[in-house]
Amino acid sequence: MFERRLYHHIDWALLIALFALCAIGVAMIFSATSDPTRGNSHLYVTQLYAIGLGTIAMVVTLSLNYRWFTDKSHLFYIALLAVLLYVLFLGTVQMGARRWIPLGGFNLQPSEFAKVGVALVLAKYFGETRGMPAWSDLAIAGGLTCLPLALIAKEPDLGTAVTLIPVFMAIAYLAGMQMRILGYMALSLVLIAPVAWKFALKDYQKSRISTFIDPSQDAKGAGYQQIQARITVGSGGLAGKGYMQGTQGQLRFLPVAHNDFIFSVLAEEQGFAGVLVALGLYLFVILRTLEAARLAKDRLGSYLVLGVLASFTFQVIYNITMSAGLAPVKGLTLPLMSYGGSSMIATLAAFGLVLNVRMRRFTN
Amino acid sequence: MAFHEERRRLGLRLSVLQYVTMVLFSALAMSFWYLQVVQHDRFREMAENNHQRTLPLRAPRGVLFDRDGKVLVENRHSYSISIVREQTKDINRTIRLLAQVLGLEEASVREIVERHRREPSYRPITIVQDSSLAQVAAVTARRLASELPDIVVQQVPTRQYPEMLAAHLFGYVGEVSDTQVGGAADLKSGDIIGQSGVEKIYNALLKGEDGAKHVVVNSTGREVRTLEEVQPTEGKRLQLTIDFDIQKAIEDAFDAIGDFNGAAVILDPSNGEVLGFSSRPAYDPNAFSSGIDRATWAALTTDDDRPLNDRAIQGRYSPASTFKMAVALAAMEEGIITPDFRVSCPGHATFYGHTFACWNKGGHGSIDLRHAIEQSCNVYFYTVANMVGIDKINKWATLLGLGVKSGIDLPNEVQGLVPSSEWKQRVKKEKWYAGETVSVGIGQGAVAVTPVSMAVYMATLANGGTRVTPHLLKAVDDGTGWKPLPTPPPQSIVTINPEHLQAIRDGLFLVVNGAGTGHNAQLAGYDVSGKTGTAQVISNAGKLAAAGNTTKDLRDNGWFPFFAPRDNPKIAGVIFLEHGVHGSNAAAIARHVLDTFFAKQEGRPLPPKPVIVPNLKP
Repeated sequence: MFERRLYHHIDWALLIALFALCAIGVAMIFSATSDPTRGNSHLYVTQLYAIGLGTIAMVVTLSLNYRWFTDKSHLFYIALLAVLLYVLFLGTVQMGARRWIPLGGFNLQPSEFAKVGVALVLAKYFGETRGMPAWSDLAIAGGLTCLPLALIAKEPDLGTAVTLIPVFMAIAYLAGMQMRILGYMALSLVLIAPVAWKFALKDYQKSRISTFIDPSQDAKGAGYQQIQARITVGSGGLAGKGYMQGTQGQLRFLPVAHNDFIFSVLAEEQGFAGVLVALGLYLFVILRTLEAARLAKDRLGSYLVLGVLASFTFQVIYNITMSAGLAPVKGLTLPLMSYGGSSMIATLAAFGLVLNVRMRRFTN
Repeated sequence: MAFHEERRRLGLRLSVLQYVTMVLFSALAMSFWYLQVVQHDRFREMAENNHQRTLPLRAPRGVLFDRDGKVLVENRHSYSISIVREQTKDINRTIRLLAQVLGLEEASVREIVERHRREPSYRPITIVQDSSLAQVAAVTARRLASELPDIVVQQVPTRQYPEMLAAHLFGYVGEVSDTQVGGAADLKSGDIIGQSGVEKIYNALLKGEDGAKHVVVNSTGREVRTLEEVQPTEGKRLQLTIDFDIQKAIEDAFDAIGDFNGAAVILDPSNGEVLGFSSRPAYDPNAFSSGIDRATWAALTTDDDRPLNDRAIQGRYSPASTFKMAVALAAMEEGIITPDFRVSCPGHATFYGHTFACWNKGGHGSIDLRHAIEQSCNVYFYTVANMVGIDKINKWATLLGLGVKSGIDLPNEVQGLVPSSEWKQRVKKEKWYAGETVSVGIGQGAVAVTPVSMAVYMATLANGGTRVTPHLLKAVDDGTGWKPLPTPPPQSIVTINPEHLQAIRDGLFLVVNGAGTGHNAQLAGYDVSGKTGTAQVISNAGKLAAAGNTTKDLRDNGWFPFFAPRDNPKIAGVIFLEHGVHGSNAAAIARHVLDTFFAKQEGRPLPPKPVIVPNLKP
């Protein structure tokens, strides 16, 4: 199954960049969660375990031929829907949302795995249709995307749900979806937006968006996090305040610093220099993965790689923009760096597929 | 065919995605550049404001000592509870919760916050100056639950006064008012400054230098560590001229005589040092230390007895018979009479067609100056005053200290009045009628004096013509040891013929030790000399008409100015009893004060609290 020569085709550069980001993440989590008055938190240890589990998952996803995964994608997809349904009715409730399945000391967040599942099923679907995707293909693929999306949105976890859309868009785009259709989609989005504002969004979601437009209108409430994020990043300066010396993160002016705002902590403590390093690593990972998509021996492989990359890139860009206080605050974590086991495992597993596609580019 | 076409399109679209990604990352990098490098200074300052607080450390005010080094006014630690609005997420919620936790009315808390609305939001607004332990505990508990991160509990020094002792002399402290802040550069809103009495006049010495504590706080407002602490400098310690035992004697005697308003000023006649000073009714200055509440303030300001009024320096009263010494001295010094000048008193006399009565309807017969003072013969002084004329009386009364400010180091002293022809022309635009001088001869008419000026008057008679400046500050200690202050220069010095002076002193001696009305002040062996004065509050006719028709107290005011011993006096002063009916009641208070003074001088045990039964028969 795993041929020895494949080993030589593993993209070590990408692998190093991925684990470098993980390492930076652990260091930042350690800094953001340390509290001299209460002793150090052990969250970074949990994160290390997650990286370990993620690495195992990665080994699994790159060992088997990716075609095996896409061939079984309908099973993964059905299993995914089943788990999401289970979460919706029987998951544990935290902070007003039902997102987790308790697995003995560890809370699994199935929605994180939905991205991989959807990428697999869409890669398979588009990979088997020849030529430009027809309307009907787009409709079916859209439906396949919307089903888990709706379940996740219902938890509610709108942030994670939204990350499924880039997966669909990217694969459809790569599969040759006409630009015209993309235009229609954009147009319908503009038309739907006011309706969604009126009926679909909850008050807290509305307030997040309206305070983004003018954070000062609610400087102590919903706009607080955004203002604090800007202060955190801006006060970091060129060289940063030094590791564990950030006042904004250390003194908890920034909420959930180890999670949603981990990049702000990096920007505060390591400054613009640190930001450039992290941005460079992320960009390297993305470009390297795009190259893997280009090198893939078949369309299916390209689609799969791009599908996995789409949600990753979307999350990275959105989270970093948000951590600078330049986007509305959403519960979107920064893949590889933010604290969170499910996200780490799912992301590393997904990159296992990327490596998988790349190293099997010569096999038949 | 299609395969290659597809392959090409795929490559093309991947390239598009690649460039889009690169553009987005460049945009991100530029955004961070803008925030972190271009706008860095602005955000750094905001971050510092976020986590650094400057908490004022209030300087303890200087301690006040009496002349023997006994502590009179000191500071105690109390806890203040304040709101720092900078930390507030919802001020209405904070006010509501705080009021509930502290057991205050929401409206009053809101009003305090409203009053300080314009101040910078990092400056704490003090809601409770002197909170109870229960209040502190309640707030602290809430704060730890980070429910009220904007509440600060601080330990502050608070002024502590002896209970009901020389309240008007010490005065009180309070938060600086807006107009006061506007008038002085070194005052800022929230400062505690002296608002009356010694606290006010020596505020600059007493207030000290506030310190500051720069701390790092976390997002819930809790102090994480201290960056810098500038310790406050305690205010200078002041030694007052007040003798605690004399002061206590005054207060005790006033307490003993019952429910009378009045005033007392006791001086060292040689230099003007104030040994005792009281105004009744008093108030509790401690009520102001911790921020006086509205109800107490309202009660103090609307009380008919006006307890905040310092009668000793602000009350102007008719001196009545106590004025007679000034008339006598004027007559002798101007060479109009000698001490042996005699007047025949048939119980009344007629001047300019008007009949003036003596208090003794039977008359005093032929009487000389000494006995006219002893028996307070009105006819004698009508006659003499008429001979001297108003302007010479005014000249001598002024030289003795009446009708002018004493210059005491207390704020808002009021000037009395001894009329003159110039005064009448200036104020009433009328010429002085010689007939008016007759009533002035017995201290009636327009004459009005303050108790403190009456004390100076007696001190001047006691020391032989030096109008000493009454003063309260004896020495200052700024931490390097006590530095005595020079005695303030006298207001005026006049040379008085010793024979004339002796005649008056003899008369005053007889008031107390002879057939006069001052027996109550008699102290065997100490030659107490004094003069009673009983001033009508309303005319006899008016009194009859008003009888039973008014709740206003119409009883006469009683004076007893004194010095002792007669020759070479060591103490001079005055006791004034509002509606005290007789000067002799005031004399009873003076006796206890003098008794205490001499006992202390001689090292005898101080007399116990006196029992005084006032004579209330008109």
